[in-house]
Amino acid sequence: MSNKPYRLAQGGSRIDRTKKVHFSFDGKQLSGFAGDTLASAVMANGTKLFGRSFKYHRPRGVVGLGSEEMNALVGVGDSSRHEPNLRATQVELFDGLQAVSQNRWPSLAFDVGSLNSTFSRFIPGGFYYKTFMWPQRFWKHVYEPIIRKAAGLGHAPEGRDPDAYENIHVHCDVLVVGGGVAGLAAAESAAATGARVILADENPQFGGVADICGGTLDGKPQTAWVAEKVSSLAYAENVHLLRRTTVVGHWHHNYLMLFERVADHDPALLRDGAPRHRLWKVRAKQVILATGAIERPIAFANNDRPGIMLASAARAMVVRYGVSPGVEGIVFTNNDDAYQTALVLKAAGIGVRVVDSRGRAEGALVEKTRAAGIDVAVSSVVSAVEGNLGVTAVRVAAYRKGQGRVITERKIPCNFIAMSGGFNPVLHLWCHNGGKIKFDDGLQSFRPDRHQDAITAVGAANGTFALADIIAEATAAGEAAAKRKTKAAKVKLPKAEQDVQKPLEALWFAPATGKYNEGNKHFIDFQNDVTVADLELAQREGYESVEHTKRYTTFGMATDQGKTSNLNGLGVLSEATGKSIPEIGVTTFRPPYTPFSFGSIAGVLTKNLFLPVRRTPIYQWHADRNATFEPVGQWRRAYTYMSAGEDKHGSINREILAVRHKVGLLDASTLGKIEIKGPDAAEFLDCMYTNMFSTLKVGKCRYGLMMNELGFLTDDGVTVRLGEDHFLMHTTSGGADRIAAWLEEWLQTEWTHYKVFVTPVTEQWAQFAIAGPRARNVLAKLGADFDLSHDGFPHMSFKEGKLGGYPVRVYRISFSGEQSYEVATPSNMGRGLWNAILDAGKELGIEPYGTEALHVLRAEKGFIVIGDETDGTTTPIDVGLDGLVSKKKADFIGKRSLEQSYLKGPDRKQLVGLLTEEPTDILPDGAYAVRHVKDKPPMEMIGQVTSSYHSPTLERSIAMALIQNGRARMGETLSFPIEGGKVIRAKIVDPVFYDKEGARQNV
Amino acid sequence: MSELYVESPLAHRVAPQGLSIELREIADRGMIDVRGHATDKKFMAAAKKVLGLDLPKAPRSSVSWGDVKALWLSIDQWLVLCSRAKAIELTVALKTELRNIHSLVVDVSDMRAVLRLEGKGVREVLLKGSSLDLLSEDYAPGTVRRMRYAEIAALLHVVEDTVFDIYVFRSYADYAWDFILATARGPAKVTLFGAQNASI
Repeated sequence: MSNKPYRLAQGGSRIDRTKKVHFSFDGKQLSGFAGDTLASAVMANGTKLFGRSFKYHRPRGVVGLGSEEMNALVGVGDSSRHEPNLRATQVELFDGLQAVSQNRWPSLAFDVGSLNSTFSRFIPGGFYYKTFMWPQRFWKHVYEPIIRKAAGLGHAPEGRDPDAYENIHVHCDVLVVGGGVAGLAAAESAAATGARVILADENPQFGGVADICGGTLDGKPQTAWVAEKVSSLAYAENVHLLRRTTVVGHWHHNYLMLFERVADHDPALLRDGAPRHRLWKVRAKQVILATGAIERPIAFANNDRPGIMLASAARAMVVRYGVSPGVEGIVFTNNDDAYQTALVLKAAGIGVRVVDSRGRAEGALVEKTRAAGIDVAVSSVVSAVEGNLGVTAVRVAAYRKGQGRVITERKIPCNFIAMSGGFNPVLHLWCHNGGKIKFDDGLQSFRPDRHQDAITAVGAANGTFALADIIAEATAAGEAAAKRKTKAAKVKLPKAEQDVQKPLEALWFAPATGKYNEGNKHFIDFQNDVTVADLELAQREGYESVEHTKRYTTFGMATDQGKTSNLNGLGVLSEATGKSIPEIGVTTFRPPYTPFSFGSIAGVLTKNLFLPVRRTPIYQWHADRNATFEPVGQWRRAYTYMSAGEDKHGSINREILAVRHKVGLLDASTLGKIEIKGPDAAEFLDCMYTNMFSTLKVGKCRYGLMMNELGFLTDDGVTVRLGEDHFLMHTTSGGADRIAAWLEEWLQTEWTHYKVFVTPVTEQWAQFAIAGPRARNVLAKLGADFDLSHDGFPHMSFKEGKLGGYPVRVYRISFSGEQSYEVATPSNMGRGLWNAILDAGKELGIEPYGTEALHVLRAEKGFIVIGDETDGTTTPIDVGLDGLVSKKKADFIGKRSLEQSYLKGPDRKQLVGLLTEEPTDILPDGAYAVRHVKDKPPMEMIGQVTSSYHSPTLERSIAMALIQNGRARMGETLSFPIEGGKVIRAKIVDPVFYDKEGARQNV
Repeated sequence: MSELYVESPLAHRVAPQGLSIELREIADRGMIDVRGHATDKKFMAAAKKVLGLDLPKAPRSSVSWGDVKALWLSIDQWLVLCSRAKAIELTVALKTELRNIHSLVVDVSDMRAVLRLEGKGVREVLLKGSSLDLLSEDYAPGTVRRMRYAEIAALLHVVEDTVFDIYVFRSYADYAWDFILATARGPAKVTLFGAQNASI
């Protein structure tokens, strides 16, 4: 391979030769010009080799023009900013850019893995399925690690991503995808009606391939027209232009995602804090696809050698970047379009000849080519390529499809090939949401057909290639798309002139001379190393469906989503089976069009925004007090407050004993609170709860159980009667929103005759439990302006008044079994009252306690927790609360279900207490009780532990469990096998472990 | 008795720097949740007697009278805004006037945090957390809309063309504040449609 620099002396519409840019590729310091892509800059330095292929580790170079590039995948950036698998043709050069090739070891030019290529005849299609079938245990530990190391693409970045990303939502009337001539024309005519138009293009500049397709508009080059349209659209009030923005997917109702690379091309933007990527979530009334077409490679022997490019890509290298793909080249084509490449190369002083597979070549471009003195060989194909790390020569053979094998050939020295097998409209977005396509015999490709969404395709994406047709079609589509807008629109069509092209002739395969297909690979899918032979083998092995062939051979399954390979593969399958391409069908197009970053998907929802966290008014105090926090739904509740030198067990025990012997303070603000009012409120509550509320006296509290229609417990809590027709319901912390919605649902859909209003007020109140034998003393010290005596304010009653000057609602209720008051004050005063309580309680020994102490305290009393003692299939009877299921009420939710035989049956799991034989043994939460202990599972399970703690009050472990027929088994000892072969034995007891009479809360 | 200590949901947050819009907490707003049937003439009349305004019946609308404002929340629910000092008095007056009419009035002044976003580009900032079509004429000043914002429930009130109030439940105040800090950063500014693209 020649190392001669390939930058031409002049030309290059996109580069600025006055601005030199320094970058590195595989550690080598190189330079290019501002405006270069990584691909053009590296090639300008004389390097054609960009990476090694996926399976055979064959040397590969740049093939494509932009996002269709399948070979030149590189990793860009270092450590935490490294991004793998970027297409070098899309990476814009900037000063200091660091890029590395991928999938090579130890170096790009010498690669150990390329031995795979030598042994490639032993690695046919479906190789993995055939070879690694057994032994099964080898899969995980032997085969998979080896395959993953050898195959695969780039490596993931290291460490935390330092950059910012974000999402944004936008609605528009018309989204135009692709900013080439068609897209600009469509956007212009749509915008002229006053419609809100978004025009997105994945490239750094608009214009598509206008600069390399020849022809004029109103007598001027297409690029002049493009510049004029872009600047007028840029100033339009109703247009948003997006560059470097790939529309990656289309979903129902014209919902699309657009991936904008905001700052990848300019580190200064990142330094200034710009988001690196932005994901646009667009809802468009109408979508116009102007996504253009992608050139097809041709399957000839060793068509993957570095230096073999698409004709459009070779042309763009010269025109845009002043980079020559080589010094002497071949244009291998089956159509007229590639002749433009021959002309451009010739004009740049590069040696070129044309090999055309068609029997006749006689279009205007062909004539120009001949007139320019370029040799044109018709009825010919490239039958083989010589060279390994680059092209050294090609063999050209006379060939007509169906007229026998290639016998004679001539060798032509050259160092690059520009190939063109025709063009495929880019249909990905059309097909993502079920658009139908049809085969076009003239194009020898698929075109858009029908779509259920408001979406149209224009220009090359619709199979329209002639400039005048493109402009007319796109302009009409733009007007039609914006039809709901009234502003008069009349866009004057420019006069288009362009060489007329003659039809192409399909060429799916160019046979090699000599040993057919041995060592001469005809690649179809370059990125996944799938060859013509692999596809044919799959057919012989019976993979008739194209979807099966795809999965068996991995054809079309690489990161390029088969952009260049799909149709060529179908052509090969068509020839192998004798079926037409439409009969073979296409594989499914799935989003994304090109890979996009996880960062853009996450947007700003990382770190502190990863999950919404709910804070009570006391949150900061808890944090300052070094509380460990426990997630309860989205809340963070204080779990325990460790003091210096204390571990969690120590602090939890201390908190519990403080409540039992002195007084404790708990932040219970998370409890759900719902105001319920109306003439039918009492009756409504009777329907919602298992027990009776209509008999509750004003000023009193009652604990209630709530079931769903299936008779299973779903919530519990204390409800207070504030007035004759006015109640305040407390729900579990996690159930607050769900229960409020549940109440509304019944009122709005089933019991519309009830005059009841329901207003959730959870967050209006900061609420604290003051619990312990000295609780009343604390309230007294705070100067309560209401009667605190036991008779004046008995257990399960309610007062409203002032405490320490703060307005409060006080409920004398207890979840600890101690004398206990729950005090609620408006949230903004929560912190003030909390501090006042602590100050007042100081000399009484008050201690804040967290949720773990709360749980142990209630377990000592045998109080259930919804979600611990219940699992969604637990009835009130199962947990021993039959007393709370009304026998008098005519109906309530779940009543009927409780009558079902299987809920009344004898073998229900019932709530019991457990005392382990060894008091220091603490049963694991969820441990299974088994009927008979065996050496290993399965063992018959008869129940499970629902709550298990060390009780400092009782100085031993306690547990609750749901055990089959548990209440009839009082006194029995059960076995709980746990990890490590150990079996804990525990006796079934009453679940109330402490103060069975309930005397302590009643003083 | 010592002075009462009162703390708004975002009192502990410092004034933000480097944003493309202005962001602050409105801490002095009183809020009263009013339930009643818009079809109940007695209810509407009683509410008007106290508030001086007709509770709005048009979905997503609001009505003002002096320093009192009523936001439509649903066909039978409104959020009445007033100064915090006036909230208790107004709540009592509403309850008194509505005592024999099916209704539910609750002072919820402490239930939500109110975030004021102000400045050119405020709609774009909000679009980073909301899928509503905030650029359309549907979101003219006065519009009220309950929405999903970022990952939480929020109430949106378009105060003026470039002034928006976002109401979130108190517990989510820090989350919402942090979300706006992240999406309103100056270098992340987005201007949708129009001549902003002139640099292209």
